[in-house]
Amino acid sequence: MDDIGLHDPKFGRNHEPGIIPMNPIDYHQACTRRQMIGLGARGLGALGTASLLNPALLQAASKQNASKQNASGHAGTLGSPHFKPTAKRIIYLFLSGGPSHIDLYDYHPKMREIHGIELPDSIRNGQRITGMTSGQESFPCVAPMFEFSRHGPSGSWFSDAIPNIAEIAKEITLVKSVHTEAINHDPAITAINTGSQQPGKPSMGAWLNWGMGSPNKDLPGYVVMISKGKGNAQALYDRLWGSGFLPSKHQGVKFRSAGDPVLYLSNPNGVSREMRRNMLDGISRINLAKKRETGDLEIDARIAQYEMAYRMQTSVPELVDLTNEPQHVLDLYGEDALKKGTFAHNCLIARRLSERGVPFIQLFHRGWDQHNNLPKQIRGQTKDVDQPAAALVKDLKQRGLLKDTVVICGGEFGRTIYSQGKLTKDNHGRDHHGRCFSMWMAGGGFKAGFEYGKTDDFAYNVVENPVHVNDLNATILQTLGIDHERFTYKYLGLDQRLTGVEHPKVIPELLA
Amino acid sequence: MQIPETNRTDAQVEILLTHFLETVDKPYQTINDLKKKADEELESLRKNRLTSMIMADNPANKARKTYLLRRGQYSAPDKSKEILPDIPAFLPPMEDNLPKNRLGLAKWLLDERHPLTARVTVNRYWQTIFGQPLVPTPGDFGAQGSWPTHPDLLNWLANDFRESKWNVKRMIKQLVMSSTYRQSSIIRRIHRKNDPENLYYSRASRFRLMGEFVRDNALLVSGLLNPAFGGPGVKTYQPPGLWNEVALRPVVKFVRDDGDKLYRRSMYTYWKRSAPHPGLMAFDAPTRETCTLQRQRTNTPMQALVTLNDEQFVEASRAFAQRILKSGRKSIAGKIDWAFECATGRPADSIRQEVLKNAHDHHFKIFEKEPNRAEDLLRIGESPRDDSISQAEHATWTILASMILNLDETMNRE
Repeated sequence: MDDIGLHDPKFGRNHEPGIIPMNPIDYHQACTRRQMIGLGARGLGALGTASLLNPALLQAASKQNASKQNASGHAGTLGSPHFKPTAKRIIYLFLSGGPSHIDLYDYHPKMREIHGIELPDSIRNGQRITGMTSGQESFPCVAPMFEFSRHGPSGSWFSDAIPNIAEIAKEITLVKSVHTEAINHDPAITAINTGSQQPGKPSMGAWLNWGMGSPNKDLPGYVVMISKGKGNAQALYDRLWGSGFLPSKHQGVKFRSAGDPVLYLSNPNGVSREMRRNMLDGISRINLAKKRETGDLEIDARIAQYEMAYRMQTSVPELVDLTNEPQHVLDLYGEDALKKGTFAHNCLIARRLSERGVPFIQLFHRGWDQHNNLPKQIRGQTKDVDQPAAALVKDLKQRGLLKDTVVICGGEFGRTIYSQGKLTKDNHGRDHHGRCFSMWMAGGGFKAGFEYGKTDDFAYNVVENPVHVNDLNATILQTLGIDHERFTYKYLGLDQRLTGVEHPKVIPELLA
Repeated sequence: MQIPETNRTDAQVEILLTHFLETVDKPYQTINDLKKKADEELESLRKNRLTSMIMADNPANKARKTYLLRRGQYSAPDKSKEILPDIPAFLPPMEDNLPKNRLGLAKWLLDERHPLTARVTVNRYWQTIFGQPLVPTPGDFGAQGSWPTHPDLLNWLANDFRESKWNVKRMIKQLVMSSTYRQSSIIRRIHRKNDPENLYYSRASRFRLMGEFVRDNALLVSGLLNPAFGGPGVKTYQPPGLWNEVALRPVVKFVRDDGDKLYRRSMYTYWKRSAPHPGLMAFDAPTRETCTLQRQRTNTPMQALVTLNDEQFVEASRAFAQRILKSGRKSIAGKIDWAFECATGRPADSIRQEVLKNAHDHHFKIFEKEPNRAEDLLRIGESPRDDSISQAEHATWTILASMILNLDETMNRE
């Protein structure tokens, strides 16, 4: 088979002198090895293979798909799930910057003994570290400057900076062995959100919006909200909720704290809702006439999108209007619940979105990059996040939503056991650390009151049950009834998927 | 001066000389003044100069050495063997006498003995003009790519393009003057039955304009478009706070431009990759993080919100309304016809006349009764308005102009 195509003398270098053979059309007629393998693996009936033989087929099929989606607005490409889902929606609480697993969850009593000693070579094991600390002469280990206590049925450690999250220990699966290859923010945050360190891939929310669609006709299927703490913050990028090579309508829609909650939502000054209705009726009538004249069915989709825009103009303000939230619910989320742009406020909005069926809601809370002043900054960051995150889980639970909603909480990596900069009695920093960090999931089929994965006493290396970020994503897809290996989109000649190709695996132990 | 000349130190001599030059020696002072002026001028030129980055090859003795990276690790080069630039082995080789640098690559790309560059290029022009490319995978002409729908045509165009010395204007003209392009886009039953995807070009294709063109079209119709060529990017209207939301440090602030920079063609819109312009993003503009050869063409509520509510489009509607009112047409029907033809190339038929006339009467009543509404609407956008036009009338036609700019037939190439 090697001789078919690639090594055919017609296309190789031995040919008529002076004529450069670069004729992809001839080349294309030859069946390549890759195509033969594709045939064998998938059989002739598979759409993927059919497309190799006749690209027009694929084009026709994808166009049909596209117009089908346009007509119904929110149907997913996947149709029915691969298997029975345990969750219908995700609320992703993303803590951007690399929250310290050591100071929040991954406590080892031995840390008190290693405080101040040099990081042993046997632990670091020649690992590459960032340019921010690679020049340090000394790498003194630092025990967390927080008190820890055990909670929940599995007796997990929780820092005294997160008493409210400790309180929901019985609801969550705490994974202490998440790991990533990336050691800097941009590649790491891109990797966990898109499955690849290189920009250009769709975010998890865009994948799901494309694949699952949304049951809500009046709100976007993927909503993003951003808040910022006082700690050292890192940049975010539109790609983190972008659609990559998927159609751009699947990208996350940002709900904003200032101005219009959704960009361009308000009518221009002077234009009332009644006037807008009159305009849209006129536009629709002319568009319908156009459809009759041209026979272009896409026009139906445009009319439908203008109507959805109109509905969003009431559904979004109604969604973000918290005046009917009872006081005890506001109290649950804490003093910032009514303050726009805070994590607490966004958590409450997230609950309201989940009640309305929005399938993917992602909060980004910035300020978790504690290279210095860690003890003080972690107190500040956890003050923003601890109560609202726990409140969200409790609130979902009391409304019966937690059973089919997954709440995820974590960042792009953890932090080093050794101090960045000077270690003093009450102050220090920590550098980035991707070899292990902690995340938790609640609801939607994840085990409740469960802990998974172990690290060494330096919280530096995983010693038991590693969970790669793509394993975690594969497991999250599983709860939605999606087989991550079959959840693909053809692009650049590859069956692209969220979880990449380096053998990511679902971790069944995490699921109830 | 009291110290005898022979006893003076060098420093003392220097002080005396300077004193003499600056207070006594007239010619020196004239020259010194001239120098001062010239220095100031030079300084101000330096301050105001524009920096333009230019890429150039390192000289041969400074060229960076390249090695195979073991398992792709940037920190693990295999230094036993240097890798030198060349054409990948599966492609035809570069002529021996060509330098192995960008010049050589450019010459190789345009080598008349292979058709690939010309084919790839004309395929992209075809895609822009006809809405779909001849080779459905414009970024992949290799074994993983798709067959051209019209191989002979592609070859003919490629050949013609090359023989006309890569004359782009001539190629575009040829495409848009072809009888294939000038067909009607009406889809009849026979099309649906025999050519549903229009793969045989049995009709003209009908597709939504690219995001940049949606905006440029609105600016052109409104008379606001600034058609200038070249120059730095411009920061046009966008909702406040977008940069800060994602920025590392809040030091780089978005400062909107003014005047005719607000109406430049969209290709000059300043592009911040971590927070690109949301109006263009809604219309499938690529993020520019990776190379995009074929854009998606989606249809979303966000797009409707942009063209109905974005300051840029509301202002364009107001300016378009002013044009309509100054068109010289007297009757409402005449004005509607004029406006419709501006936006779509056709006068309005009876349905469109009726719809727009009704909208006119409806809104005129409102704006007459509630003048504040008219005033608020007309205040949107930086460009001045002609105060001689009555506010109620101007506002009413602003609504009609916005409706026309939002029609499917305005936003589609048909």
